Amino acid sequence: MTKGQKIGLIVIAVIILALVIPYSYLKGTYNSLVQMDETVKGAWAQVENQLQRRYDLIPNYVETVKGYAKHEKEVFVKVTQARSRVAGAGTVQEKMEANNRLSSALARLLIVVERYPQLKANTNFIRLQDELAGTENRIAVERRRFNESVRVYNTKVRSFPTNFVANMFGFEKAVFFEVPKEKQEVPKIKF
Amino acid sequence: MKTKILGHLKRESRMVIGLTILVYITLVSLETGHSAQEFPKPRGLVNDFANVVSPQHEQKLVQITKELLEKTGVSVVVVVVPDIGGEDYNEYATRLYADWGIGKKGKDQGVLIFVTVKERKMRIEIGYGLEGLIPDGMAGEIRDRYMVPYLKQDRFGEGLLNGTLVISQIIAKDAGISMSSKSPRRKVSKKTSGYSSLLFLLIFLGLAFLGGRRRGGLFPLLLIMAMGRGGYGAGYSRGGFGGSFGGFGGGFGGFGGGLSGGGGAGGGF
Repeated sequence: MTKGQKIGLIVIAVIILALVIPYSYLKGTYNSLVQMDETVKGAWAQVENQLQRRYDLIPNYVETVKGYAKHEKEVFVKVTQARSRVAGAGTVQEKMEANNRLSSALARLLIVVERYPQLKANTNFIRLQDELAGTENRIAVERRRFNESVRVYNTKVRSFPTNFVANMFGFEKAVFFEVPKEKQEVPKIKF
Repeated sequence: MKTKILGHLKRESRMVIGLTILVYITLVSLETGHSAQEFPKPRGLVNDFANVVSPQHEQKLVQITKELLEKTGVSVVVVVVPDIGGEDYNEYATRLYADWGIGKKGKDQGVLIFVTVKERKMRIEIGYGLEGLIPDGMAGEIRDRYMVPYLKQDRFGEGLLNGTLVISQIIAKDAGISMSSKSPRRKVSKKTSGYSSLLFLLIFLGLAFLGGRRRGGLFPLLLIMAMGRGGYGAGYSRGGFGGSFGGFGGGFGGFGGGLSGGGGAGGGF
């Protein structure tokens, strides 16, 4: 092998390395971003499942309460309105907002319920109350897990040098499912 | 060589290096301490960390949960903790479930029956895989009918045993399997000893009071001893219990990375 050939080989090796290293880096980063993005989407789907569950539960619950507390019209109307807003929400952000509104409407309904001891003694109502409490708890759990996945994803998207890759391929920061300040707590149902 | 270099360093600089390492270690440990939960490690399917369950009840609980796990592959795990530091008990139970990984990963067929003594709260946490079989309403009914009435009276063993029996039977029935343990009592038997023990205590107190004046304090001592025997809070010794889980073969059965999603029911007692 002459000296020229040797140099030629080295040059080719360097070029190959120069192509391979960025490629494998890009591939790794891109794929991990995709994976995290999917995790966030999966977590959101779980949140939506539970929100849907609550949505389905409300009419039954409201009807039962109505049987004992006919005069509390205003609260029922608020819950029903908030519920229909949830149905009309399209984007993720809209869904979050609509559901937060529904949560506070429900919280008000739960306060009303406290004033009707007969209602609270009704077996059918107690089971419905358990179902609603369970659903609220599930929503809280899935929201926590969703927010955790968003945090992990956002950290990755924003940190150096992943941020360049994220920018290049249009990975955007995900939005947290935040609970409004006025109502930090999930409607607590007391027994 | 090393010592030589160290020897050359001034005392102050050595101290600085030492401090730096110390701070670094503290930071690292703080960080890991933050992410890792402070949950106790599982002892088996029945974990009475608060020592409020009598050995007889504990033995029965172990027998039932073990039989269920062997026959159906479903893990029913019982946990009693002395306190959870004022944290939300529902959240605690869900995180404990995930931390221990009750049930097999992906199948998530498990139940966590959780009680915290100080906060007087309990929760039946249902794994994802059993949500269809035991909906929240049913979990609430089990809580109200079979558990809370006992827990209210500090009869932790009975409450836990009843709840575990009902849940196990629901699971066994669904799997088409019969359990060797019999059905729980449905109603709480009135605590007949309630008044009589109160009367006894009053008499004793009277005697102790009189005795204390006459003979200078032997009766008060006896009284304390007698009271110590009575309350569940006094605790049970757990001698010779550690070996019971040997049958699971390597680690505990029933913990395979299962997950729950906050299904079930909880409440105070």
